[in-house]
Amino acid sequence: MNASLMSLEISVLALGMLVLLADLIMPPERRKFLGYAAIAALTTLLIASFSGYGSCSLAGTAFNGMFVNDALSLFFKRFFIIAAILVLFIAIEFAERLAVGISEYYSLVIFALAGMLFAASANNFAMLFVAIELITITFYVLVSFQRNRLASLEAGVKYLILGALSSSFMIYGIALIWGTTGKLNFNELAAVAPQYTGEKIFLLGILLVVVGLGFKIAAFPFQIWAPDVYQGAPTPTTAFLAVGSKAAGFVLLLRVLFVALPVVAAHWVNLLIVISAITILYGNLCAIPQRNIKRLMGYSSIAHAGYLLLGVAAIAGNVHDATAGGAAILYYLAGYLFTVMASFTVIALVVKTSQTEDISVLAGLHQRSPLLAATLTIAMVSLAGIPPLAGFFGKFLLLKSVIALGVVNQGYYCLVFTALAGVVISLYYYFGVVRAIYFSKDAADLSPIAISGSARLCIWLSLAGIFWLGIFPDTILNLASEAAKVLSS
Amino acid sequence: MQVGLQHYLVISALLFATGLLGVIMRRNLLVMYMSLELMLNAANLALVSFSRYNNNLDGQVLVFFIITVAAAEVAVGLALIVALFRKRQSAHVEDLTSMKL
Repeated sequence: MNASLMSLEISVLALGMLVLLADLIMPPERRKFLGYAAIAALTTLLIASFSGYGSCSLAGTAFNGMFVNDALSLFFKRFFIIAAILVLFIAIEFAERLAVGISEYYSLVIFALAGMLFAASANNFAMLFVAIELITITFYVLVSFQRNRLASLEAGVKYLILGALSSSFMIYGIALIWGTTGKLNFNELAAVAPQYTGEKIFLLGILLVVVGLGFKIAAFPFQIWAPDVYQGAPTPTTAFLAVGSKAAGFVLLLRVLFVALPVVAAHWVNLLIVISAITILYGNLCAIPQRNIKRLMGYSSIAHAGYLLLGVAAIAGNVHDATAGGAAILYYLAGYLFTVMASFTVIALVVKTSQTEDISVLAGLHQRSPLLAATLTIAMVSLAGIPPLAGFFGKFLLLKSVIALGVVNQGYYCLVFTALAGVVISLYYYFGVVRAIYFSKDAADLSPIAISGSARLCIWLSLAGIFWLGIFPDTILNLASEAAKVLSS
Repeated sequence: MQVGLQHYLVISALLFATGLLGVIMRRNLLVMYMSLELMLNAANLALVSFSRYNNNLDGQVLVFFIITVAAAEVAVGLALIVALFRKRQSAHVEDLTSMKL
């Protein structure tokens, strides 16, 4: 037993409780300060995870192999902490629009982060279930945090019903897997799984678990919740949902498919190819007619889940060497993190003054605030996948990992073709946003937008991330390939 | 007749299907939520019976986790449904239509 491996998680949980307690003694007008304090604490943890000192970056397992620290979990933990820091910046900017309880909002973000950190290290189905529930239940509250807005409550209830439905599918799947094999630990399961591949109940169990995770990442056909929830939730929550919750779903999916059940994953290549292709097409096609900017981002996030599934399908095609596909997924997620944070910061600032979230509010943004206009444009260009930004290189790596397998299975060529078609479709709506910023004539309001310090910092950090990943991909790519080695069996 | 593992599993599958049908067919949020709890308990029953017949206690431990998580989920979920009811004076899913294309 080596509980000190969990020092990062324990610190994050303690931080969340401290923020809640500090709320009691903090006068209301100074609560914003709590957000900055939380950001400072998380930054310290991030530096600690990079420094090599402390036990959080040591490799090893704890609690009978339930909790594993390896390159993959460390990569995702840094990813989640960066995401939470940027979300807290947006939340500080957003504070006035939450009627009550900004400190609770900060601490809920931190608790959700703790769930994500546990998810990154989960190596056992019980751990997987508890981590994913910690994330999901926290998000029910975060989504419906603006209790005075009907849309926020509606989004919360929709997320609640569909989230609970997917949890019950997942737990039933876990029950069936455990019932047939008697193993909950991923490594032990991998050792015995080959003898059960013919058992229907075992395969049904895996299918149900994958359904539950597919809901988290918003893959077709479990994506119906995403547009409504993205639209109704407060903007910082939407950003965290798009990045943190999706990435947590992906790390668990990768571990379940390629650490615990590589035998089964290799059989399900065609299923993964089809899901990936339909998710890409669905997300991109449905995004075209959208007028609400957050709903548009919701559909675009479905499409991006589809692109990420390209990498999953690529690993399933060759489970013995996950480096190419795994590294592509991790790199793509890193680029997606900064891009999404940049765009949601801009959206939070722009819709603050106007009551609607229609794309038309972006009209004349280049006169109201050149920085915001440029940031949103760069974010859209990066999401569309145009060089030299992060999004381009990520898509390039994903497609490369898939094309390499085309000689074995013709389906991969069809998948590449679908993904390229998806990219072309996405250009249309991403540039619709850019067109609304620069070329729309019907700007109703041309007053300059005041950018608060926290939002400005968030924007500059995200822009730095987008350009750094796009122009100097080597550092992250090395970390990502190192992490992806864990998935090779 | 000897009651065996299959009987428990069939009951558990029936419970799961009943819950799923309830979520799909019923339009009242509270009833849907009750059906969701039924689905979680179907998983609990399956875990306990597997545990009993395989002489392995891991499943029973997992059941405790599920019960705890379900309690937290119910606390948050009911609070949310009540908040929605106060706002809308209705707990029917047909009324959740403020966000549409």
